[in-house]
Amino acid sequence: MRVFKNLGWFFKLEKKSYIIGLFMLVLVALMELVPPQVIGRVIDRITTETLTSNTLVLFGVLLIFVAVLTYIFRFFWRVMIFGASNRLGRTLREQLFEKYSKMSPSFFGKRRTGDLMAHATNDINAVQMTAGAGILTIADSVITGGAVLITMALTVSPKLTLIAMIPLPFMVILTSWYGSILSRLFRVAQAAFSSLNDKTQESVAGIKVTKTFGYEDEDLKDFTNLSDDVVKKNLKVAKIDALFDPTITAIIAISYFLSIFFGARMVVADEISLGQLVTFTTYLGMMVWPLLALGWFFNLVERGKASYDRIEEIMNTRSEISTKISTNSIPSGDITFNVSDFSFPGEDEVSLRNIHFTLKEGKTLGIVGRTGSGKSSIIRLLLREFDTDPGNSVSINGIDIKQYDIKKLRGLFGYVPQDNFLFSTTIRNNIAFINPDASLEQVQEAADLSYIHQDITAFPEGYDTVVGERGVSLSGGQKQRISIARALMNNPEILILDDSLSAVDAETETAILSNIEQNRAGKTNIITAHRMSAVRNADLIIVMENGRIIEQGTHSSLTKARGWYYETFKAQSLRRDLTKELDETLEGGGNHDD
Amino acid sequence: MTTDVINLTLKDQLRVLGRLLKYTLPFKGVLALAFSMLIISTVMGVMTPYLVMIFIDNYLTPSVFPEEDIMWLIIAFITVNVLAVVTTYWQIYLLQLLAFKVIQELRIDAFKKIGHLGMTYFDKVPSGSVVSRLTNDTQAIVDMFTSVLGTFLMAIFMVISSFVMMFILDVKLAFIALIFMPLIVFILLVYRKYSARYFSRARGLLSDMNAKLAESIEGMKIIQVFNQEKRLQREFETINEEHYQYNLRTIKLDGLLLRPAIDMIYILSIVVILSYFGFLSFETSVTAGVIFAFIQYMERFFEPINQVSQNLNIFQQALVAASRVFTLLDDNRHAPVQQTKDQHEITEGRVEFKNVTFSYDGEVDVLKNISFEVPPGTTTALVGHTGSGKSSIINLMLRFYEYEHGDILIDGHSIKKLPKEEMKENIGLVLQDPFIFYGTVTSNIKLYHSTMTFEMVQEAARFVGADSFINKLPHGYEQKVVEKGGDFSSGERQLLAFARTMAPNPKILILDEATANIDSSTEEKIQASLQKMRSGRTTLAIAHRLSTIQDADEILVLNKGEIVERGTHGELVQIKGIYYKMYRLQNSEQ
Repeated sequence: MRVFKNLGWFFKLEKKSYIIGLFMLVLVALMELVPPQVIGRVIDRITTETLTSNTLVLFGVLLIFVAVLTYIFRFFWRVMIFGASNRLGRTLREQLFEKYSKMSPSFFGKRRTGDLMAHATNDINAVQMTAGAGILTIADSVITGGAVLITMALTVSPKLTLIAMIPLPFMVILTSWYGSILSRLFRVAQAAFSSLNDKTQESVAGIKVTKTFGYEDEDLKDFTNLSDDVVKKNLKVAKIDALFDPTITAIIAISYFLSIFFGARMVVADEISLGQLVTFTTYLGMMVWPLLALGWFFNLVERGKASYDRIEEIMNTRSEISTKISTNSIPSGDITFNVSDFSFPGEDEVSLRNIHFTLKEGKTLGIVGRTGSGKSSIIRLLLREFDTDPGNSVSINGIDIKQYDIKKLRGLFGYVPQDNFLFSTTIRNNIAFINPDASLEQVQEAADLSYIHQDITAFPEGYDTVVGERGVSLSGGQKQRISIARALMNNPEILILDDSLSAVDAETETAILSNIEQNRAGKTNIITAHRMSAVRNADLIIVMENGRIIEQGTHSSLTKARGWYYETFKAQSLRRDLTKELDETLEGGGNHDD
Repeated sequence: MTTDVINLTLKDQLRVLGRLLKYTLPFKGVLALAFSMLIISTVMGVMTPYLVMIFIDNYLTPSVFPEEDIMWLIIAFITVNVLAVVTTYWQIYLLQLLAFKVIQELRIDAFKKIGHLGMTYFDKVPSGSVVSRLTNDTQAIVDMFTSVLGTFLMAIFMVISSFVMMFILDVKLAFIALIFMPLIVFILLVYRKYSARYFSRARGLLSDMNAKLAESIEGMKIIQVFNQEKRLQREFETINEEHYQYNLRTIKLDGLLLRPAIDMIYILSIVVILSYFGFLSFETSVTAGVIFAFIQYMERFFEPINQVSQNLNIFQQALVAASRVFTLLDDNRHAPVQQTKDQHEITEGRVEFKNVTFSYDGEVDVLKNISFEVPPGTTTALVGHTGSGKSSIINLMLRFYEYEHGDILIDGHSIKKLPKEEMKENIGLVLQDPFIFYGTVTSNIKLYHSTMTFEMVQEAARFVGADSFINKLPHGYEQKVVEKGGDFSSGERQLLAFARTMAPNPKILILDEATANIDSSTEEKIQASLQKMRSGRTTLAIAHRLSTIQDADEILVLNKGEIVERGTHGELVQIKGIYYKMYRLQNSEQ
């Protein structure tokens, strides 16, 4: 029941709907009591030959009245209670989405997308069921069940009611017993089904191997065995599942038998009339559903509680990025890194050590080094995906970036991520991500700068081409260039290219870089790259290895130093020339993306 | 964003249902038994009110209770109910049994179909959706069979039997009661029309919403860096709100047309019954038992209608699922079929390509007039850029795709005419990305080979040099392998795949060299074992690193589907063409 207390805020919010809904349920229960009474009375009057056409018409009108009212009340409780529970689903979904969008990357790093999705789908569903069907089942059991029971006792006979009720608890006991066996068997069946699922997945993924070895038939046999197992385990479920209806039938029949057997005696003894007996048996039929609902209710609440706990756990998780704001100024100025050491949360290994440098405003920084040398970690700190520990700082204009409003800080950046994540929408919407109201001209301008305009216009749908699973598949180079266009959209103060030119060929790289240089005078750029050519013109180049800076300077100073940068640059230049030569032979000078 | 929800027309639904029902034909016995149980349980169901009626009218009203008669009535009551309980149980169980048998057939058919489909199909259809056809969609059909079809059948039987009993009791009133029939049918038709629309729209919105959520989780970093959280929230809320509105409409529609409406009609029908008997009682005598029984039958008549109407949506979804399964079954992108059953044999393993021209889509030729020969026991290497056609050569050779122009011969026989078994036994393939199955080390080497002994497995592992790492595993050859071999390094996975390929001792070897970096510890071992595998076998190798095939007997350089250079390493370096440039380029790598 704790789940109802935890959901108290919601019931308070929807007080009106629930009160009206429950009131309607009470009215429905009362209305439902009328027809059996009328039936009994009409039968009595017919058997005693005291029926007049006036009373008959009166009864008829009463029943029609009851029918229409029941209809109306039934309609409204549904709208009230199910409407409210759907609003709960909507609200929780909204809250969860908002929560997710406030969380830092380490939150997402620790959790799988599938689990986060499950909270928003299955868990919310279960909670919604508790607030809808859960409320309904308990209300129905208590209100309808109680009303019928009291009416049976009051209007017919308390003794007969007691007798007729004797078998009914067995129904509750038996059905909930089946329920517990069933949930165990169901889990087993579910496990068999998921092995079948895994098998199918593997067979489809490994289809080439199977086909080459010619084991299609053997694979089928294996699949058939697993499928047999699924059938076998599901039939075990079916064996128990099929017990529900007959059990209910049997218990009701016993109850029925008892009522008629003892009821008939009472009729003979003139304790009740024949009509009352008929009324009584009709009421008896109305007791089945409230009793079953009681069993359901506990099941629903149990599931709802577990689900709501999971949702609350997420809602109570705090983002690891502090949102304390100590200055309201818009960050601008030189960027200074003063990081003696930095480790990602939960990792022992030190990811960055002794990173000290200053990038003057409006200048370009190049960061090079091998994979895993710490290039991206520098970017991640600047973007505040993670915060530095005390004693270390990343600052802009001498103020630690933690003190700025994170929104304002992020407002500075145009960021191109390594993985070129694009959303499954049109290319235009992807480029205009930061400003959906941007004109097509603005979008094209950005696309032009990143050398993707021509590729886009070559698609049949142009800028309206949808990317992703449901649309065209783009090459890695095309994705990178669209990501660059997206970052260039609002002419950001700081442009960050995180290994974002790896999949474009040498000429395109040069062209994009020179576009950036020409169009971004006075603005800051940060470029990480594997290819030295990408940072050649940077005002400051730092060379990373194992989380440390091993060389820093400009292209010319580093060339003079003849260190790692120089060696790599030389080797890459040679390779670049050779590639060009080979491509010219193969294509007559075409480019090959990817 | 578009949604995947399919709406079938009534005609399509009937066609799908018909085809689905055909699957029950092989289980005539179960079907007949289930039907007889259903008939008995319905007949028993309508007997109870009848017995009570007899009791009320013949004994209770006149207040005479001859002991023997009452005993018989009690016995009849008990018998009827026991029979009803037992047959109800078996009827439900048998229908479930039938459902699972049908699904079993359907699943096996679908899986068989996957074996017959060609790579053309798998290129186009994402593997996730193939899997979902076989599992989730078939599961949806189970739900239809068990809950929906069972309910429908029972409903039909109950409605008919109740009507029959009403006719027996009072023909005139039964006819009057028939008035409600068209009304109910009308309500259900209206309901079906709107609910199908709202339901599929709501489902579509839900899947859009989930897609949006999943994507936002994946791309949260970008959303945050670009300060777009608020906008994405607004977009999400828009769909969320629309979804809620459609749900509300569904609730209102249910409230207007389902149980509340049917129950209202039920009460109205009681008004009709009472008025009829009431007015009748003014003229002739009417018994309480008949009224009682009639009302009971009326209730039995309405209850199944309620159940059916509540299951209509599940039914429609199941038909959509079934239609998707049938689409898979009807797909005709089959794998190439061997043409004759001639008993040609592969003896030496001479491979010959003769003027082969090939296109995947019928428009762009990816192979243009390719001819070459690989003498028995020699190695031919294929070299070229991505898209040069080297993978296509292997795809054709392995019969993943059918070719129309030119021919590929092994020992002088066209590979189209070689028996399948002969091909599989004599051609070994090493894939770029070694696929490791769930199971054990042994099962991964042996696969489904029926006659391979453990010694042969060990021998193969030893031969390729995989034994040293296998022996170090805690359970050796019986070590469990997780999905995709996640516990092994890429090099170890590669060695395992080598052992699998070499175990049947093939005469012809097809190698697709890994592009990905293999951990340096096993790199040498892999090269050594490749060397060993190739010796004495006809080998067709795709090489990404030229250093690995320098000793090939012939190297073919492909560009845009054509062989542009051919010769040994030495010869090709001499002519200073494409191969030479590629070679220099690779040598320049650090």
